[in-house]
Amino acid sequence: MGHLHRRRVLQYGAAAASALALPGLTRAQGGPLKIGLITPLSGAQEFIGSYVRNGAEIAVAQLNNAGGILGRQVALEIRDDKANPAAALAAARELLGAGINLHIGGISSAVVLALAPVMQQEKGIFITCGAGTEKMNHEAYSPNLFRPGDSPDARGRAQARLMAEKYPNVTRWTGLIPDHEYGRTTWSIFVDGLLEFYPAIAKKKPEILDPVLMPYGVSDYRNAVTAALRQQADGCYNSTYGGDAITMFQQARGFGLMQRYKVICDSANEFLVARGLKQQLPAQWTGMHYYAAANKGNAMSDRFVADYLAKTKDPEPLGWAAEAHAAMYALAKAIEKGKSTDTAAVIGNLKGLTWDTVTGPRYMRPEDNQAVKDVELVFIEPANTEKGYAVSQYVKVDGKLVILPPAPGQKLKLRTA
Amino acid sequence: MLLSDVATLLVNSFTWAMATFLVAAGLTLVFGTLHILNFSHGGFFMIGAYVAFSLASALGGSDSIAVYLFGALAAGVAIALLGLVVDRLVLRRLAGVEDAYVLIATYALLLVCEGATKLVWGLKYQSVMPPPSLDGAWALGSVVVPRLSLFIIAAGVAVYVALEVFLNRTRSGRLVKAIAADPWMARLLGVNVRLVYTATVAIGFALAGLAGGLLVANQTLSPTLASAFVIYAFGVIIVGGMGSISGAFFGSILLGLIDAIGQWLLPGLPGLPFFVAMTLILLLRPQGLMGHAQ
Repeated sequence: MGHLHRRRVLQYGAAAASALALPGLTRAQGGPLKIGLITPLSGAQEFIGSYVRNGAEIAVAQLNNAGGILGRQVALEIRDDKANPAAALAAARELLGAGINLHIGGISSAVVLALAPVMQQEKGIFITCGAGTEKMNHEAYSPNLFRPGDSPDARGRAQARLMAEKYPNVTRWTGLIPDHEYGRTTWSIFVDGLLEFYPAIAKKKPEILDPVLMPYGVSDYRNAVTAALRQQADGCYNSTYGGDAITMFQQARGFGLMQRYKVICDSANEFLVARGLKQQLPAQWTGMHYYAAANKGNAMSDRFVADYLAKTKDPEPLGWAAEAHAAMYALAKAIEKGKSTDTAAVIGNLKGLTWDTVTGPRYMRPEDNQAVKDVELVFIEPANTEKGYAVSQYVKVDGKLVILPPAPGQKLKLRTA
Repeated sequence: MLLSDVATLLVNSFTWAMATFLVAAGLTLVFGTLHILNFSHGGFFMIGAYVAFSLASALGGSDSIAVYLFGALAAGVAIALLGLVVDRLVLRRLAGVEDAYVLIATYALLLVCEGATKLVWGLKYQSVMPPPSLDGAWALGSVVVPRLSLFIIAAGVAVYVALEVFLNRTRSGRLVKAIAADPWMARLLGVNVRLVYTATVAIGFALAGLAGGLLVANQTLSPTLASAFVIYAFGVIIVGGMGSISGAFFGSILLGLIDAIGQWLLPGLPGLPFFVAMTLILLLRPQGLMGHAQ
């Protein structure tokens, strides 16, 4: 017995020594497939980050119930990026150092742009779940960075096209834009769309006023609101978002600013602002990554909504959850296709991938790692309902009609007023 | 610049100034008396706003200014009671310890406030409509003056006057000032210094809660509300002179004017003039406008 015991000890010792000596091999061969989720879980963007986390966790549960990826269960390694590039870089380096090469998350443009070089250098992959920068597909293009959602050029140009179609007489436009990368990008693209689609569709030349820059994360927007009042524009494009947008709308209400516009086109708040403002909401168009009600009948969407309700008690998941869900399914399909989790293989199989999502099939353009996806736009109005708002119009714009051609490594070329 | 633009700029800057002063008043009162720089003050302001929001929701919305003011006062009372608990559990233990420990302890309290807010009210954005009498605007010629702005200005001035009267014209207020100046001597003269400290904390916290309730219709409610105000509140009490109510009042007016003029002249650099002005004032007068040199 004692002899056997000693032999066992030697066997265990040898196994432990092998495991210590060859950590990469042991990770590759057994245990769950770990995927990094780097998203805001604290700070100003925590609320949006919670959608990303829920969407990713639902996708992982669904994949695991279906047998996992390549027969392996999937586990998320979740880290908080605080919507801050430094925190995101620290989290990414930690996960990459632990041998995790596949990552999703990142809703802040600054975070995603900061992660690109480290992913390339350390042979990782990062799939954003809603960052709006155009640079990741252009001058800051990295083969290791992917966007499964609509591109900022597709979104902004689809909105401009809709404005030209529905409001041909609204030709004097201004913008209320946050003073950072996302705000300037969204406004520039929207202007490009106005300058293309108003002459083509409305047969009129739009007048573009200087946008009003909104400070980020402050408690008072009155000076900016009065600057906008002086402009006397007919159409307003807003890309302030979340809590900032709600504060701005509340303070603008006192001045009657929003009532002066014939149309308000919001970049991407989905229902965040409507849920916060309820009956204070100025009627407006907004862009959605995913509008659950319009995707009823899509089996994947119906199941996603049911799982989201069961997990969070929220019957209407917003787009950031859908983007995380789509990112996980893109990864799963690319891995299954190449039967490998190796970075080079996954990159190769993500490029040109067509995969099913809650908004229908999407195609990942191989040239610049940008998905081609239809743009979903809704018109929301205050309503005397429990929610305090209602969707009165829904428009789906064919992504292929509005997305600009791929130009990785080159600056996005846009028309300027 | 037209006269109407000047008037609008003045109204905007005074609105910002009084909103910031409302938040800063309790902060500077507690610092001036207990010499504790309470980093968590913004957190209690935020909880006050949420308490007012919950009351408004429970009462079916702020349909009248009476309900709105009742919500603000109730928030003040609720936060004053919380202040007594905080005083007992935390602030008393910080008496006489190094500033670094005070900052760390009160910063931890701020995190507790944010965590508690997430647990009780969740992450989602909320808002409160102003009562009809504070909604909309008065048009004075071509100048549009939102009623809520005038209400905030009036509330800020009222709180300032009330604090000045209390501190300078009442026996209790003079006692607070005496203890702030020399607690050792006050104790020697038989004053219950501990009791006055506790009362000051309660008043300081009540001011935070009251500010939350008065400003609840002014901005979005989210667990990050504390940070949106508290940086500016610290800015005005530093510029005004730490511990000085008048300093915070006039400091907020000065910085509000500079911010508004800066936004007018440099619309492409929002927020920058505030911090540049703060830096310059502190370079020229490190003790603040109405502070005393060490």
